Amino acid sequence: MGLRTFLLLATAVMLVASVGVFGWRTWAIWAYVRRARPVVRWDRLSERLGQVVRHVLGHRRMFRITFSGLLHYFIFGGFVVLMLDIVETVGEVIHPGFSLGPILAPVVDVWVALVLIGIAMALYNRLVLRPERFHGSDERDAYIILALIGLIMVGIVVHDSFFPVVATAVFHAPPAVAASARSHFLGAGLANLWGALGLLTPPAAAIGYSVGYFLDIGLVLAFLAYLPYSKHFHIFLAVPNIFLQNLRPAGELLEEPAEDTIAIRSFSDLRWKDVMDLFTCTECGRCQAVCPAHAAGQPLSPKMVILDLRDALVRELGGKGEAPPLAGEVVSADALWACTTCGACQDACPVFIEHVPKIVGLRAALLEDGAVEPAAQKVLVSWERQGNSFGQPGRKRPEWAKVLDFPVKDARREEVDWLWFVGDFASYDPRAREMTRLVGELLHMADVDFGILYEGEVNSGNDALRIGEYGLFETLAQKNLKALNDASFSRVFTTDPHSLNALKNEYRKFGFERPVQHYTEAFQQLLQEGRLTVKPVPLRVTYHDPCYLGRWNHITEAPRALIRALGVDLVEMPRHGEQSFCCGAGGGRIWMDETGMEERPANQRIREALALDGVTHFVVACPKDVSMFSAAVTAMGVEDRIRVVDVAEILGVATGLVPEPGRSLVTAGA
Amino acid sequence: MRAAVLLKDVPDLVEDLELEESGQALAVDVLSYVPSEWDDQALEEALLLKEDGGGTGPVEVHAIAIDTGDIDAMLFSALAKGADSATKLTGDFDRGLTSRQRARILATYLEGQAFDLVLTGVQAVDDLDGQIAGLLAGYLHWPHASVVRDVAVEDGQVRFVQEYAGGVMGEFRADGPVVLGIQAARKPPRYVPIARIRQIQRTSSLSEVSMERPEDAGHLAVRRLYRPESSSHAAMWDGDVDAVAAAIRALLAEKQLGN
Repeated sequence: MGLRTFLLLATAVMLVASVGVFGWRTWAIWAYVRRARPVVRWDRLSERLGQVVRHVLGHRRMFRITFSGLLHYFIFGGFVVLMLDIVETVGEVIHPGFSLGPILAPVVDVWVALVLIGIAMALYNRLVLRPERFHGSDERDAYIILALIGLIMVGIVVHDSFFPVVATAVFHAPPAVAASARSHFLGAGLANLWGALGLLTPPAAAIGYSVGYFLDIGLVLAFLAYLPYSKHFHIFLAVPNIFLQNLRPAGELLEEPAEDTIAIRSFSDLRWKDVMDLFTCTECGRCQAVCPAHAAGQPLSPKMVILDLRDALVRELGGKGEAPPLAGEVVSADALWACTTCGACQDACPVFIEHVPKIVGLRAALLEDGAVEPAAQKVLVSWERQGNSFGQPGRKRPEWAKVLDFPVKDARREEVDWLWFVGDFASYDPRAREMTRLVGELLHMADVDFGILYEGEVNSGNDALRIGEYGLFETLAQKNLKALNDASFSRVFTTDPHSLNALKNEYRKFGFERPVQHYTEAFQQLLQEGRLTVKPVPLRVTYHDPCYLGRWNHITEAPRALIRALGVDLVEMPRHGEQSFCCGAGGGRIWMDETGMEERPANQRIREALALDGVTHFVVACPKDVSMFSAAVTAMGVEDRIRVVDVAEILGVATGLVPEPGRSLVTAGA
Repeated sequence: MRAAVLLKDVPDLVEDLELEESGQALAVDVLSYVPSEWDDQALEEALLLKEDGGGTGPVEVHAIAIDTGDIDAMLFSALAKGADSATKLTGDFDRGLTSRQRARILATYLEGQAFDLVLTGVQAVDDLDGQIAGLLAGYLHWPHASVVRDVAVEDGQVRFVQEYAGGVMGEFRADGPVVLGIQAARKPPRYVPIARIRQIQRTSSLSEVSMERPEDAGHLAVRRLYRPESSSHAAMWDGDVDAVAAAIRALLAEKQLGN
């Protein structure tokens, strides 16, 4: 048997075996995808393709960590180029005259070199830099894959180095083929070494070529079989997962009203995209690195939620019986209740895994089993009975308005231009209420025709839904929708980003599609229209983006434009905009037990602000933030260095309503 | 073993209470109502008994409430939590029923039912003329204990702990039927998601039993209900920290509490 025949037969056998193993495993995984809950992810084709270009070819999220982005780009590019190599390598065995030609062949070599550099960088990253985000990842798998990729690259160069001799002396191809093969400059260079060692004789070259061939094609096929058993299945799933990402409003947790339950108990309770997510995870740990709960030393890593679910599913796939309860056992209750639903994990994920819906679904399962976090339970009961998290009577909701020296319209009874959805914290929290009054005065000053729903308003349900209590969310939403439908208004605005998210994204499924603005957007517009006269406020401040404003609703520019329009010097913290760092309050966390927390996220955030040169004020745009960060500043004893102020307060100073920022009750330490 | 749990709803004390113009009754129509927190404890204790298994046989939990209006949600909630049945005693009833009348209605119903154990809250915030458990046991001539916790079923008997003043406890055994006024369950009452309650509302129904309004079995005449009248007021200190600190020091010295 000639060498060509042997190589072709071996390739065919390896191909059948590899595709067989790959197909077997993939079919088993596909069965789970088919059994899962439905979700539409095939619409808006051009937008999806655009996202693929941005995030696959452009590596946009990958490059948020430059070093990792670069090394991945080299290795990822190598896989594209590897396709060319495979075509050429198998092609030249089938037809000895086949070649990539003088342009593509050197490209392959350039990329082989880049992949090897990428592997060296990856090793440096894992062995020397050792970022914390890898903690919990399967490092062994990572090294196996890096070794495989490295060996494939070596194989490419080795078979290229022997090919000119094999082509003429063994395959009996015309001399031009051998000359063309020398376009692989790495192989040509290595051939010089072989020549010096006397290894370019036809028998030695045939052996050398075969070694290179099997290192290349053999390992590629072995790799193919290994992939669905490894985290590197993302090589196949990353592009589809990016294509199939959620293009609906980011802040919308559920697309449709739930029928009975949103609880995730088994893998068939996941949406099919969620099952794909599990196998797409690359274990890169970027989600873990940005998670506020993880940073606070709590037992949550979004990465481990995905990996624990995946491992449980893999055990099921391996015939080891049905997985134990997903909520509470596969993923611990403590981990699930630690989530702030800030969404930083999702925003950081290069392959668009959606962690938050899974965590909320698992929380719902805990809730149905009665395993609710005790402090959260109290709030759920307060929402159910009183419609607010403070356990206060609904009649006290509009009490803040009583001390104003003008009447606030009841939008249920008379028509208003702007309907103000105030929210729980802004209505009941003593410090936030000061801010609420100030907003009322500012609106009055700008001659805005506004009104509120008085006791017709209840909590928006945004946090109830994220605690996993869909039924309560729906009950609260229906109460608000009744009040909203009874009212006559041209637009809704709110001082609370959590309410904004519910009104804008979650009420849509019940047919509410009126324009909703955050007050920073509304006031920016009033300034532009010249309805408020302001004088510059000479302050150097930093601004904290609330998660439900910036990340979930992409409102990052309006608050900044408003702050800058008031003559304030705005300095950004390293983490800002959609990559802001959560205060720790979201997803119901503000009411839950903080035992075991090493450093509260709000304290970490204040430290971040304190590191900025000359910044004296920490500006927020969410009533919960007023509470969270004021407490942090007090706890850290840094009242003399930084003051927590709401955007409205600076606006109050600029308009002359407030004498000095940081002198009202909202200020920490006041 | 069959356990009955008697439930009622009471005015929500979070809301401001309002009185009728006469000043002799709560303005029941403007109040909002919530399940009585002690009844919640009784239900939880019964559900825990059911989950414990009851030793010699399963424990069935049957929730029962008098229909004074708007109590369906409370009963469906009990079913969603794990009660085996929920019964609404209907009739010409309103929220003005006295405890004695309630106990009469319940006694008439329970007499014909083979319950081994009756649990209810030790008290309710609107008990004007005694607590249900004692009155009910009296009408039925059944054993009774109040301020009870840690209920267990052992060898067909009911074992429980009764609390006394000064932290003293008594442990008892009783043959059924027995009526217990529950002070607290072993665990905080469980939360039941609203979706589960709705699901139960679709798949289960409440039993309805028509009952007669009992004769007025002797009642207290309310002369006047009124808010507590303050006889003295707290002194509030404000102003700067030094002034407040000086005031605290002066007070401690005056009361001879400091060094």
